[in-house]
Amino acid sequence: MTLTPSARLALIVCQIALAIFVLLPFFWMLSVSLKPATEPFAIPARLWPENPTLENYVTAFRPEFRTYFLNSLIVSGASVVITVTLALLAAYSFARRTLLILTALMSLVVLAQMFPHSAIIIPIYKMMRAADLLNTYASLIIAYVSVTLPVAIWMLRGFLLKLPVSLEEAAAIDGAGPLRVFFEIVVPLARPGIIATAVYVLIVTWQEFLFALSFTSTREMRTLPVGLNDFIGQYGIRYGELMASSVMVSLPVIAVFFFLQRYFVAGLTAGAVKG
Amino acid sequence: MATVELSSLHKSFGTFTALENLNLHIEDGEFLVLLGPSGCGKSTTMRLVAGLEEPTSGEILIGGKRVNNVPARDRDLAMVFQNYALYPHMTVGENIGYPLKIAKLPKSERAEKVRQAAAKVEMDHLLARRPGELSGGQRQRVALARAIVRTPQLFLMDEPLSNLDAKLRTVMRAELKHLQKELATTTIYVTHDQVEAMTLADRIVILNDARIQQMGTPAEIYARPANTFVAGFIGSPPMNLISGTIAEGIFTHAAGRVPLAGYADGPATIGIRPEDIRVDEGSECIRGQVYSSELLGDSTLLNVRAGEALIAVKVGPEGGRAMDSAIALGFDAEKIHVFDGASGERLGR
Repeated sequence: MTLTPSARLALIVCQIALAIFVLLPFFWMLSVSLKPATEPFAIPARLWPENPTLENYVTAFRPEFRTYFLNSLIVSGASVVITVTLALLAAYSFARRTLLILTALMSLVVLAQMFPHSAIIIPIYKMMRAADLLNTYASLIIAYVSVTLPVAIWMLRGFLLKLPVSLEEAAAIDGAGPLRVFFEIVVPLARPGIIATAVYVLIVTWQEFLFALSFTSTREMRTLPVGLNDFIGQYGIRYGELMASSVMVSLPVIAVFFFLQRYFVAGLTAGAVKG
Repeated sequence: MATVELSSLHKSFGTFTALENLNLHIEDGEFLVLLGPSGCGKSTTMRLVAGLEEPTSGEILIGGKRVNNVPARDRDLAMVFQNYALYPHMTVGENIGYPLKIAKLPKSERAEKVRQAAAKVEMDHLLARRPGELSGGQRQRVALARAIVRTPQLFLMDEPLSNLDAKLRTVMRAELKHLQKELATTTIYVTHDQVEAMTLADRIVILNDARIQQMGTPAEIYARPANTFVAGFIGSPPMNLISGTIAEGIFTHAAGRVPLAGYADGPATIGIRPEDIRVDEGSECIRGQVYSSELLGDSTLLNVRAGEALIAVKVGPEGGRAMDSAIALGFDAEKIHVFDGASGERLGR
């Protein structure tokens, strides 16, 4: 498609406006994190700190932060591994078998992702308490796997449907058994889809707040999003440290997304058009 | 190396019948071509033999052993797919060596066999490349090398040349034929291209509408097509088919009369090959106008409008005619094929 110069200009202006709209909060987060305690609410407001300081980061990087970070890493990491593994196996069946029951099951899978978390959190909480799982990594991992699995299956199924079946048939004729076909042909070829799905699960679980707040009550088990709450006190909010922590929480996800975004975008569209 | 026996083979997908009561015996070392238009059941037949589909009913025997319940991986056959089906994440060498890796051959032996197979198709200098970096013809060779790297009982080839350009196809066709004779491995080859079938096959099986229409050597099928479908499918250009009526030893049609003794009265279709027709001003067999005249180099192809039909006639290179000029055509009685007007089955001789 070719654009006239004026249309092109208009498009660029719109893109810049949209970028500012989306990025300004991030910029503000960074800016506030670098401001000394006296500055965040100075009037007139300043976009960039007058006396930039790393003081907030030093305070924010307390032992608790390290515990929270480790907790987040364990919970998100385990959720990513478990969800992607289960989703890959399920998606392969959904993509390759044509049994009627599977079509019905796939609809259920889609249906399952439509419940808002706040609607299911109390039943899940009760189940966790009954199973004596509150304040454990397992409670969060189980909850995260349950809520991310439907979309993960959907995404991977879209990817697998795009792989030509003849490759698997060729491998079977070359003498490979079903497991070998799956691990040596399907999995390597589905790698972009696997990466995209892993990024999706990571982003969802890394920022998850509601389940983490509900299922963990001790400091030792808290994850980063809940940990940020520490800076919101009854009588005031320590914005500098809160924003410094927020920057540190965001960085890993931003870095992952930055390097793997091409897979992620491909993953979403694969699920979309092949549904 | 093995014989293949298909008996009463039947395959349906839901309400669609892909294959009906197919009986076929393939000799050890034979090059058998399944020929037919798309949807005729030829690929289904091959996939049944390969074990990629299960027959609805009927028996499949390879080397005298019933294999209906044997999975594809244990049938000891090699297949070349229409889209080559090379593993994109493996190098050419790994692709060719994959069947050997699965068969747990020692690495050194594997490398040697891969090199030999690649050399046979002149790909041994590109073993480190990936399929994505190869041209269509090169991919085709890799697929072939992967098939010949072991010595399977049976080769299956599903339109392996159809994605190549015309020139390369001719070259690969010759190489394929040579290779098959050299290896002497029973081969089933599926194609919709009758020229490929004629040139490659020891025996051709022509399929249409889920049924075998005729089987025989290329020469037999060319000389004695069993019905109008086969007659119109084989030959380039194919046989002319003219509908009319036989009465008292004379075949009458819209643009002429042909003396035709020894057939019962009634509607009939006669077939005559373009090269068996001669221009003969004294004849009444066909009178028409020249529709087009195409010089092919060694011959000229005339299309003659006779009633509703266009009749192809092959004449010498000097035999070109002006468009719309009147022309009369004659046939020799012994070159005429006669088919039943209703069923299209061959009559007599």
